[in-house]
Amino acid sequence: MPFSSPSPMALNKPSPTSSIFKKRSANPVLPASAASYLSALSQADARARTGTAAPSFTSTPALSLSSSATASSEGTVLDPAELENDGLVLPLQPPTSEQVFATLHTEFGHCANDEFRTVSVHPVGTPLAPHVEQDPPYYVLLSTYISYLLLIVLGHVRDFMGKRLTPARYKYLMPHDGYAPLNSDFDSFYTRRLKTRMDECFSQPVTGVAGRTIMLLDRMSPDYNHTQLFTGTRTRALNISSYNYLGFAQGSGGCADAVEESIKRYGVAALGARLEGGASDLLGTAEALVAKFVGMEDALISSMGFATNSTYIPALVNKGCLVISDEFNHASIRFGVRISGAHVRMFKHNDMENLESLLREVVSQGQPKTHRPWKKILVIVEGLYSMEGTMANLPVLLAMKKKYKFYLFVDEAHSIGALGPHGRGIADFFGTNPRGIDVLMGTFTKSFGAAGGYIAGNKTLIDRLRVYGHASPYAETMAPPVITQVVASMASIMGVQGFTDAPKALTDGEYHHPGPAPPSALPGWLHLPPALASGAEGTERLRRLAFNSRYLHTGLKKLGFITYGHAASPIVPLLLFNPGKMNMFHRLMRARALPIVVVVVAYPATPLTTGRVRFCVSAAHTKADVDVVLRACDEIGDVLDLKHGLKKGERWSVEECIRRAGELGRA
Amino acid sequence: MNTTTDTLAPLFQFLDHTLTTAQTTFDKLPGSAVIQRYVKSSHQNDPGRTLLELILIIFAIRTLLQSRTRADRNGSHFIKFTDKEIDELVDEWTPEPLGAPLSPSEESDLAALPIIAGPNGPKPKLLATGKVATNLASFNFTGLAGNEHIKQRAIETLRKYGLGSCGPPGFYGTLDVHMQLESDIADFLGTEAAILYSQGFSTISSVIPAFCKRGDIIVADRAVNFAIQKGIQISRSTIRWFDHNDLGSLEEVLLSIDKERKKRRSPLTRRFIITEGIFQKDGVMVDLPKLIELKYKYKYRLILDETYSFGSVGRTGRGLTELYNVPASKVDMLLGSCATGLASAGGFCAGSRTVVDHQRINGPSFVFSASMPALLAVSASEGINILRSTPSIFETLQDNIRAARAILDRIDCITVPSHSASPIIHIFVRHATPALLSPPSHATPTKTHHSHPTSILSAKDIGREAEYDAEERLLQEVVEEALTHGILVTRAKRLRGQEMVEPRPSIRLALTSALTKKETEKAVNTLKTVLVKVLGRKR
Ligand SMILES: Cc1ncc(COP(=O)(O)O)c(C=O)c1O
Repeated sequence: MPFSSPSPMALNKPSPTSSIFKKRSANPVLPASAASYLSALSQADARARTGTAAPSFTSTPALSLSSSATASSEGTVLDPAELENDGLVLPLQPPTSEQVFATLHTEFGHCANDEFRTVSVHPVGTPLAPHVEQDPPYYVLLSTYISYLLLIVLGHVRDFMGKRLTPARYKYLMPHDGYAPLNSDFDSFYTRRLKTRMDECFSQPVTGVAGRTIMLLDRMSPDYNHTQLFTGTRTRALNISSYNYLGFAQGSGGCADAVEESIKRYGVAALGARLEGGASDLLGTAEALVAKFVGMEDALISSMGFATNSTYIPALVNKGCLVISDEFNHASIRFGVRISGAHVRMFKHNDMENLESLLREVVSQGQPKTHRPWKKILVIVEGLYSMEGTMANLPVLLAMKKKYKFYLFVDEAHSIGALGPHGRGIADFFGTNPRGIDVLMGTFTKSFGAAGGYIAGNKTLIDRLRVYGHASPYAETMAPPVITQVVASMASIMGVQGFTDAPKALTDGEYHHPGPAPPSALPGWLHLPPALASGAEGTERLRRLAFNSRYLHTGLKKLGFITYGHAASPIVPLLLFNPGKMNMFHRLMRARALPIVVVVVAYPATPLTTGRVRFCVSAAHTKADVDVVLRACDEIGDVLDLKHGLKKGERWSVEECIRRAGELGRA
Repeated sequence: MNTTTDTLAPLFQFLDHTLTTAQTTFDKLPGSAVIQRYVKSSHQNDPGRTLLELILIIFAIRTLLQSRTRADRNGSHFIKFTDKEIDELVDEWTPEPLGAPLSPSEESDLAALPIIAGPNGPKPKLLATGKVATNLASFNFTGLAGNEHIKQRAIETLRKYGLGSCGPPGFYGTLDVHMQLESDIADFLGTEAAILYSQGFSTISSVIPAFCKRGDIIVADRAVNFAIQKGIQISRSTIRWFDHNDLGSLEEVLLSIDKERKKRRSPLTRRFIITEGIFQKDGVMVDLPKLIELKYKYKYRLILDETYSFGSVGRTGRGLTELYNVPASKVDMLLGSCATGLASAGGFCAGSRTVVDHQRINGPSFVFSASMPALLAVSASEGINILRSTPSIFETLQDNIRAARAILDRIDCITVPSHSASPIIHIFVRHATPALLSPPSHATPTKTHHSHPTSILSAKDIGREAEYDAEERLLQEVVEEALTHGILVTRAKRLRGQEMVEPRPSIRLALTSALTKKETEKAVNTLKTVLVKVLGRKR
């Protein structure tokens, strides 16, 4: 299947810009004589050591950033090809004189209509509705199986023939010169024979802010995806793929200003591990703020989300302990659990009955062979599952926890910021007290537009992790600019006392979320603009995200698609089933007049038959953006025969969906 | 469709029956639960589908899965209980607390951690006292921390890219600046390619399992750092240890593996030597040319962790390969850290294109984690540019190291095992018995033990726990006392109880070119006074 991109179907004009591989002066150009070279070197040396800017040290390609109508900072260059307005760079409806948008439309869309807002909350006391996985018609499943079968058979045939006809090309898979191959024939079969066919959909290089839109660096493959070449052109596309739930991926605005200030004050790096001279006042402040945000006694911050799980879980459990893990838990959790040496059992995804029967079994049986009681049992779930859009059934888990005395670890990587009326994650969404959970883990890569992760719990536990976590003595602490992004974005969701009204509890119940941040919880030098400090913008973001999530989710359902997950989830998986359709879906979306980039995931990230496209909705999207996505899905869905969720008569037309958006977004 | 199903019904029924009988036996097999669930969920009274699925599963298992077994419900050990009994057992069971409180000494150490107010660098301000200290603890070999040009470029990048990349590299998280840094690193070291990870520490524990699988052979130094230990653990490969930094012992181990393989006629598997450039645990340096010679002789691949030698030794900081003048392409996987070497963040693995591309699909912490913030990548690129054009950084650094060693090597009450060119300097309390991790000196007659390639020695094994505890307290006292004199040093912090080898307690200095020789000398002299005072008093 040769897939060359940009696709011949592309309707948009690629904008000509300079290649990113423009050769820069990596080595200083050698002057004629050795003496002059040396003197040039020492000059450069002197410049570098005094720390003044040296113009020769440019390492990133010069990129022009397109601007918007409402904000054009100095230095932004308008790309003439982008001036033709398709709603991507400039809003289709120009703002009225009363409306002031402080954001770049390309990063964070302009959407003033208060109708398109809702609140992310689950009615307290009602059980979480079970997640029904709709099955597609028989022929779809059959063709999916046949597709895979065909791909596998073809792959083997090609391997068989290839090894005989062109042995040189298989040499790297064979033992040679006494070395076993790095990548065995067998292990790499899936990669070589299946994934390569869809490589067009993966690892697309981009540039600029991963906000509402994203700038793609166009590439093409002359040899069936074995190599990818850059064409030198760039395409701006609507980005419904990044984990930018609250739209904090921004190069401008209050948070970016705070980060700039922190770079000036703190520099770029933390220079060491927490226990070996890398702890700073900024880190302490941020940890206290995170604890306050999630509603726990204490929290610690680590410089990488993956490593938060992989290096701190081993400090929680070890030999003689049991970890019960949801089958769809993230790779980082499995990594950490495996390193910990604890025994692991899995339960069916989100199946609370399965979990209970497993608990009854393990508590009664004790450790394998010896039947000694377990030292402790840790149940690990995710707040929001990144491939399914399903949520942990927290109320049931908490009730079960009382009976079976296990400890509960919730990975809130995707749910923190994205769920709950106050953005405090899954506990907030269900209106329960987070302190009922033992360990809350989350990452800053998603909702906060930063990087790294945190673990929150009671003070004794967190202090223990500070000493016993693998990252504590050995891994670099979080870089100051990243910490600042966390602090600024978090504070703007919480609001700062004195700038905001007393907290209004949106849910009636025993749980009241911790409220705005006291000014003392922020670094003294950090001054947020009023819109952020008051929490108004944060609330706006939460409400926009909640609306967009529901609107896209129910909209797709009404159009007749099969989707997974909870309607409040910003992760919206749309089932494609056939492996061939994934490629096509991706390409048809990308090749539209208004290009849209999507993430398609197939086996082995999902079960074999349920290949899907995963949309990640953001607060940065406008209602019009979701309209665009719905329209695109509607058209492509017809072409690719994807509407298997509803019978013809029950479906809505896309125009009806768009007209009744307000209703859908609150459904 | 219906008619075909009807005519084939008896056949399907038979198949169905066979399946159920098979299932009971199947239940006892490890891992069967997953498959069973899968079949059930898709079966849905439609035998045709099951048949197809079965064929597929067989295919899938054959091609895609390696046996990952868990011994769970071991039939003979399973006890049947009634519901009531289970309820009672559930009621009776009391778990241990999730996190036990810290011991008093751990708590006091945690409380005594120096916290830096404002920017970290050669002379940071301390939060507790508000005083400035000379920093011999933080990793800033090159003095790039606080460089105004880098800050400027970081701010420019922030404005163009925002902060976070909001996605893993596979899904719109690959930025041009990441590709740029990767090619900068590859260029700088002279390898074909390089791959970037977003945390230095997590790099090698991800690289090892990407290549080393069950059945493969790893030969590693006994004193490798914690990240390597974890990488080895998760790879499930067969592991053989050689004595710390003793290439003679390495050769013995390689020879014995070779013999064993010939004797057993076992098939060829991947074989790796894993060691460090400058060791994190004692600052000893490996003899790279000899190592390369051995690797070629016995046909092993070399995974070299240069976390503490990249950006610290060599004329322009390229690390051991530059110092020994060995082409970096001879090291199969060369790992380094942009956090320690370039005062930025993240880590990398450089090597051939095949090695790098393999990790893009198989490196767990590359695939499943968001890529590094753009401004940190640009800062690292700028760092490399500065190193390229500023050899004087490393001249100053080496001057400082020489000055520090001139003082430290003359103190009676300590030993310094670290290599004389290493900016990481470990200080051990001088001992009657030789240090566990000190480089083997062949002159010492005490070295009578035979190396056990399958076992490692820990403090517990050799009955030194109490001794180590006492030393740790002493050194902690030195650290705290030094701080009152305005010198920031740190004990080498360890994960006591989780390390494979309990290294001897030490104070770890990290020298920097950001301090002048005078400043370094002054600081080390102060440290000397404290060392002599505290250690002398307690002896
Ligand atoms: C559930 C979960 N945990 C942890 C992580 C790792 O986070 P990071 O990307 O910040 O390393 C992810 C990322 O995808 C995730 O989905």
